[in-house]
Amino acid sequence: MVRQGKAAWLAHDLTHRGVTAWLLSALLVAFYLVLYYTALFDRAARAIGLDSKWTFYGILYSLAIVLGGIYVLRKYRHNRYQVVRTAVVMFVQVILAFSIPEILQFVHQPEYYFSYFWPLKFDYWTPETIFRFPLGYILYSFLGSLLLVPLLGIFFGKRWYCSWVCGCGGLANTAGDPLRHLTSKSSASWKFERISIYTVLAVCLTLTALLFVSWGIRTRDPALEQFVDGFQSVYAFLVVAMLSGVVGAGLYPLGGTRIWCRNFCPMAALLGLVQKFGRFRITVKENMCISCGLCSKYCEMGIDVRSYAQANLSFTRASCVGCGLCAEVCPRGVLRLENIRLRHPQQLALIHISPATTRSRTAAI
Amino acid sequence: MRYAIIGNGVAGTTAAFTLRAREPGAEITLISAESDYFFSRTALMYAYMDRMSRRDLEPYERKVYAKQNLRLLCDRVTDLDASRLLLTLESGRALEYDRLLLATGSVGDRPNWPGLDEAHEGVVHFVTLDDLDRCERLTPSTRQAVVVGGGLIGVELVECLVYHRKQVTFLVRSPGYWPGALAGEESAMVSEHIRRHGVDLRADEGVARVLADEGGRVRAVQTQSGAEFPCQLLGIAIGVVPAVDWLRQVKTPPRIERGIVVSSSFETSLENVWAAGDCAEFLHDGRSTVEQLWYSARRQGELAARAMLGDPVRYELPIFYNSAKFFEIEYTSTGIVDPSIEGTRSFFCRLPGKQASVRIVERAGAVVGFNMLGSRWNHTFFERWITERRDLDYVVEHLREAQFDVEFGRVDLAPVHATYRDWKAALHPWPALPRGSGFV
Repeated sequence: MVRQGKAAWLAHDLTHRGVTAWLLSALLVAFYLVLYYTALFDRAARAIGLDSKWTFYGILYSLAIVLGGIYVLRKYRHNRYQVVRTAVVMFVQVILAFSIPEILQFVHQPEYYFSYFWPLKFDYWTPETIFRFPLGYILYSFLGSLLLVPLLGIFFGKRWYCSWVCGCGGLANTAGDPLRHLTSKSSASWKFERISIYTVLAVCLTLTALLFVSWGIRTRDPALEQFVDGFQSVYAFLVVAMLSGVVGAGLYPLGGTRIWCRNFCPMAALLGLVQKFGRFRITVKENMCISCGLCSKYCEMGIDVRSYAQANLSFTRASCVGCGLCAEVCPRGVLRLENIRLRHPQQLALIHISPATTRSRTAAI
Repeated sequence: MRYAIIGNGVAGTTAAFTLRAREPGAEITLISAESDYFFSRTALMYAYMDRMSRRDLEPYERKVYAKQNLRLLCDRVTDLDASRLLLTLESGRALEYDRLLLATGSVGDRPNWPGLDEAHEGVVHFVTLDDLDRCERLTPSTRQAVVVGGGLIGVELVECLVYHRKQVTFLVRSPGYWPGALAGEESAMVSEHIRRHGVDLRADEGVARVLADEGGRVRAVQTQSGAEFPCQLLGIAIGVVPAVDWLRQVKTPPRIERGIVVSSSFETSLENVWAAGDCAEFLHDGRSTVEQLWYSARRQGELAARAMLGDPVRYELPIFYNSAKFFEIEYTSTGIVDPSIEGTRSFFCRLPGKQASVRIVERAGAVVGFNMLGSRWNHTFFERWITERRDLDYVVEHLREAQFDVEFGRVDLAPVHATYRDWKAALHPWPALPRGSGFV
């Protein structure tokens, strides 16, 4: 039941797909369209002494993460995991994703974002970038995508990136926190996610491969080069501009904060696959779940956490970004994020001896 | 085979899924007058506090029932004729069954306070969906509320009313909050926490009379100490009782004492009728047990279904455990923690600077219970230590293994170990033979 009073009504309406939520969403979509396709913000940026609209946008984005971060730090101040994670997210945004690229430009270096990697930052792995950027940047880029992604993914799950480093996740977990419950938990949305995210990943991998092939034989096959150029601009428009920007952030108030991360991000897809084979899991305390559903409700990735918790099943889902909010909201402390190595012998025994209650049942559902 | 289950709560629904897993072809009907679909009663408070919608309370997607081919009837059973294997429903419909499970749960206990019957409006329990509807309807016209009953449902209702910015008086009959579960120190800590949320918690206060205005709306509660607390909403949370009244009037009532009396394999006194969950009462050697917890209902629902399928089932009370949350303080309890039980003594440690404590209860050299507040614990370790009859030394030494706090948030147990050493030294000032290091 909504609390009484105008302020409470507004807060509820904004966070429960009310009229104001639709208005806000329309505003956000309009903002992104104007930002991407007009020079309006360029003029605005110059008016306040900034070099381009992207600096202006960077300031806005960092501000959202810092202010949202302060709100989140206060809200979850009793939870050390949330405090540490949020502090890291704020640091990465302000330093790695905003200040350093600005400073690099200032000293006439390429504008480089050390917190983004291929395949999320698609253009870091194109022949054009690789042969233009200084060697150090290219080495870092390869190290990040080929070493950091799989290694940290195996040890800590995809969370090291998706909810600790990445700016998309950063915005979702700070300013987006009041909207996190809007992500659909239906099994249909899960089905959609599995198709869409791996489709984008496949397209992304194909495009990267084609770029190198066409670059290699560009003198012999100009038609292919032309085709790949077209392909790349379609990808940049559909995936980068539309899905990650307009849809991903613009629809926050309607579809929750992780529309992009859950359904489209190729980096999340890749990390999710790594995570399935890694050590990260959510451990469920046996027979303590009361099926209240707060975990599912507040999962921003749309995972029906309750279905695992009430069945006593510890689990690893490819989409889980390890934000830890399910464990935070659980009123019975049933869930815990873990990077398991070897289980304690006692724990092993408990896992195997446990009465064969509930487990068989849910397997059927 | 036709199975009918009265009650779609956690016991009934768990039973239905268990039956379906074993009998793919059987006809299974779940009947409930309370809600169309199974919902989580434990989450009522979150719906009241706007943290979830009504739909969010449902633990399974609705299409699961169709997929599992479970028939759901929203109806009330008015008659049971066990000799003809027949149920009569309020809609006039008749339903034949081969095997019947009674899983009707419980309802809020209603005391006989003077004046209560005259207050037609403004008196609520907090157990059913109807109770939630009533609370929500009354909330806008309520400024002050009184909640009576120092248990878990009471504090949940108080938390909801505080969320809605009501001025709440919380009346507890005992000298402290929840004496059945919390000893003095814990009770004081939780009471202080509740008060810190602006709640006027009054211990040692029993209700003497309920006062209503001309319209029949409750307007105040008088206590036995003579105090009067004005209120527009009176929440009664003095406990729950098995919902079995309707069964007394049917053609073939089963044996009912406090609840529906069942054997250790959940059979009632009627042929082909079983009962499970909050409404079932076990009589072992003259001791009556009615378990009214989410966990027990789920366990019983599954076992009763297995009994209905013909499995040999012998229900024995497992080691008790429970969990709760008092505003922000989390609570885990396992085994025997009632301090009034003879022959027990306990080691207690309040963690400095935190609203957290550890209590380990021992009897005859073996640990029998745990009462933990303010941090997270894995009760399965406690169960194991109790079963293995571990002593206090062992348990305190291994306590770390049972911690379940969030990453980076593990509570430091050094104060517990230090307090334990002092506590032991005070108990045995001259140890017979000092063993190991540090024990001089």
